[in-house]
Amino acid sequence: MSDPVPLTTDHPGQVASATPPAPGRSRRLSDRGLAVAFTSPALLLLLAMSVFPLLWALYLSFTDYSATRGGPARFIGFENYTAILTSAQVHQRALTTLIYVVGAVTLQTVLGFAIAYLISRRTHGRGLLTTLFLVPMMLSPVVVGLFWRFMLDAQFGVINSMLGSIGLGQVEWLTRQRTALISLIVVDTWQWTPFIMLIALAGLTAVPKYLYEAASIDRASEWFRFRTITLPLVWPLLLIAVLFRAIEAFRLFDLVYILTNGGPGVSTETLSFHVYKVAFLGFNTGTASAYGILMVLVVIVLTQLYLRYLNKLKEG
Amino acid sequence: MRHQQRMRRISVPGRKVQLATAAMLLVATTVTACGDGQDDGGTASAPKAPATIPELTKDPLTLSFIWFDWPPAQALEAFANAEYKKERPNATIKVNTVPNANWHDAMFTQFAARKTDFDIAILDSQHIGEAVTNGNILDITDFVKSNIDVTAYNPYLLAAYGQFPQAETGKRDENASLYGLPLLGDTWTMIYRKDLIGDKPPQTWDEMISVAERCQADHPGVSGLAFHQANGSDAAAVTYNTVNGVYGGNLWDAKTRKIEGVLNDAAGQEAMDVLVNRMKPLTAKGSGNWFIDEVNAAVAQGKACIAFNWIAASGGLLDPKQSTLGTTREQILDKLGFATLPSQKTNLVPLGGMGMHVSAYSPTENQAEALNFMKWFERADIQKKWAAAGGVPARTDALESPEFLNAGPFNQVYADSVPRMRDMWNVPEYARLVDIENTNVNAALNGAKNPKDALDDIAKEQQAVLDSSNRRGGGGL
Repeated sequence: MSDPVPLTTDHPGQVASATPPAPGRSRRLSDRGLAVAFTSPALLLLLAMSVFPLLWALYLSFTDYSATRGGPARFIGFENYTAILTSAQVHQRALTTLIYVVGAVTLQTVLGFAIAYLISRRTHGRGLLTTLFLVPMMLSPVVVGLFWRFMLDAQFGVINSMLGSIGLGQVEWLTRQRTALISLIVVDTWQWTPFIMLIALAGLTAVPKYLYEAASIDRASEWFRFRTITLPLVWPLLLIAVLFRAIEAFRLFDLVYILTNGGPGVSTETLSFHVYKVAFLGFNTGTASAYGILMVLVVIVLTQLYLRYLNKLKEG
Repeated sequence: MRHQQRMRRISVPGRKVQLATAAMLLVATTVTACGDGQDDGGTASAPKAPATIPELTKDPLTLSFIWFDWPPAQALEAFANAEYKKERPNATIKVNTVPNANWHDAMFTQFAARKTDFDIAILDSQHIGEAVTNGNILDITDFVKSNIDVTAYNPYLLAAYGQFPQAETGKRDENASLYGLPLLGDTWTMIYRKDLIGDKPPQTWDEMISVAERCQADHPGVSGLAFHQANGSDAAAVTYNTVNGVYGGNLWDAKTRKIEGVLNDAAGQEAMDVLVNRMKPLTAKGSGNWFIDEVNAAVAQGKACIAFNWIAASGGLLDPKQSTLGTTREQILDKLGFATLPSQKTNLVPLGGMGMHVSAYSPTENQAEALNFMKWFERADIQKKWAAAGGVPARTDALESPEFLNAGPFNQVYADSVPRMRDMWNVPEYARLVDIENTNVNAALNGAKNPKDALDDIAKEQQAVLDSSNRRGGGGL
């Protein structure tokens, strides 16, 4: 018979972990052993699929290695990093990526929050509406890219057909410098606004009702309630959603590949797309590794700054 | 409490053990990933295939090809399984396909891994340099000498799909090594609407533009021209190279490896001006990302007066199910004509098509089967059957045979174009060179760059790639 488990305790976690193994269990397999046994497959996978490639890429980034040309990897110091950081091509792609990230994430945040706010005010059909809005997020970006490519086709696309029916002219969505980047932002927004909406909806649902009731008693206006109750309470959660989306948008590759292939010219080539070209067209593996490492560093540094801001907000 | 203390005592060395295990795993993963070290000592030359075909296996065997997804790929698989199986019943042919834009990457990433899931790579002529330099495909020079009648081919066709270093346009260097044999010949055909511009095709490039201009003005809703402009694959680059050739330009000086000052000389500038300022305005709005399928769709839907496309991709135009030009093949042919490209200062046309190349990483019995397949495929009777099945052969006797000439209305165009062909650069840096040209020509065609600047940028960037060709995989973009 096992020892009785205490019903209440000040440190339930510690007591639970201090409970001796149940009789009958093999003495050789302690709790810790079990924990290691269960976590090691995942750890192994993590080591093989994430940690090792990252370290390997870090090593290659200091060499002139080429995956196709063979031969030993020769150490060339920071030459790859210097070449990338001083390259006008990279600066151009960084600017394109920045415009894209700011444009897409801003649009998605505004729209996502607006939709969540409207849904949260409905009493009927909330579940159905939320599910419907979530559908784009469930689709593969390649599928989304392909059908938007057809829809945005200047000659045969449904978007231009609709514009034509209301008397507007044809727009070259994917083949003009400005419209191509806007099209990418629009398609990404269509797919990922539901993500922001979902998180904002969770935040809105968690706002205590009594705050609104108190505000109603004080005859506070709708705008006042939104500004002083809703927004401050949902804001931290929304910022986390923005962080996730910004990281995702920074890595954008698939939509560019399918919709514009970086064109016209290279005007919609993002950093990820450029890394792909360096890695697989020229097979400059060393340079591509350095490029990838730099991108990871940028994300880590920006995320740290952002998290510090979030913590300050939380403390405030 | 005693248990807790025991756990604590164990946990410190336990953590050390875990850390040590993790470190060992990392080292093991590294060693495994690095393989047997062959990678690092890789030689930069292609291994040799035997002069005679080794003994073939009697066990069931699948001979795998890799190509991009288009009608000739399906035609090859059906044809080879129907015909080759008659001689080798234990062999099954599988043509694996990838989207056109992934074709180069799909092959060369496997080559980079020194392990391929294909036995025969169907390489574009321009890929040969990269594959040979990296030792990815077999040197079949001795095999060809012993098994193939090289006199049965136009020398340039044989050279274009197999020779490295690249042959001079129109010639073959008999002392150079061969790494492949022709699989599918191809070039551009001019597709024109007989019902809109008349039965006689324009003879010069200038005349073609004038005719297209008139046709577009006379038929609202129909664009004067349709051609490849996309920035993927080699779409826009081939278009510019074609106009460049016709207007007397050169892509490079192969002997001195000079591009700057050659590509963007007066003839090159004129070609770019013709393409961007005279041809582009005659295309449909938004056609700046068109490639093979989009051009075919425009023709099939009656939206273009004159179009340019690869012959091997034009078969679908005669399918009434895919066309609005007629309900039968004959009705469509009443409206569509196929002709060789108009000439101007020269009569050059682009060399298309691909060759068969044996993967250096394929198992020995599959390499033997691949060589046997190639020998079989290049036989005169099989080349004629391939022509009748919709393929474009390379042997002169097959090209002149009624089986080929009667198989499609564009086949005569191919036969007439063979002596006029010019290829791009067949060098290991091809993928980067074509990307530079594609993106810049596409930018010029879509108003993202001034045509002169685009051409100067192509010349400058391509020259930089060639000049840094001894650099390995680092230090540059």
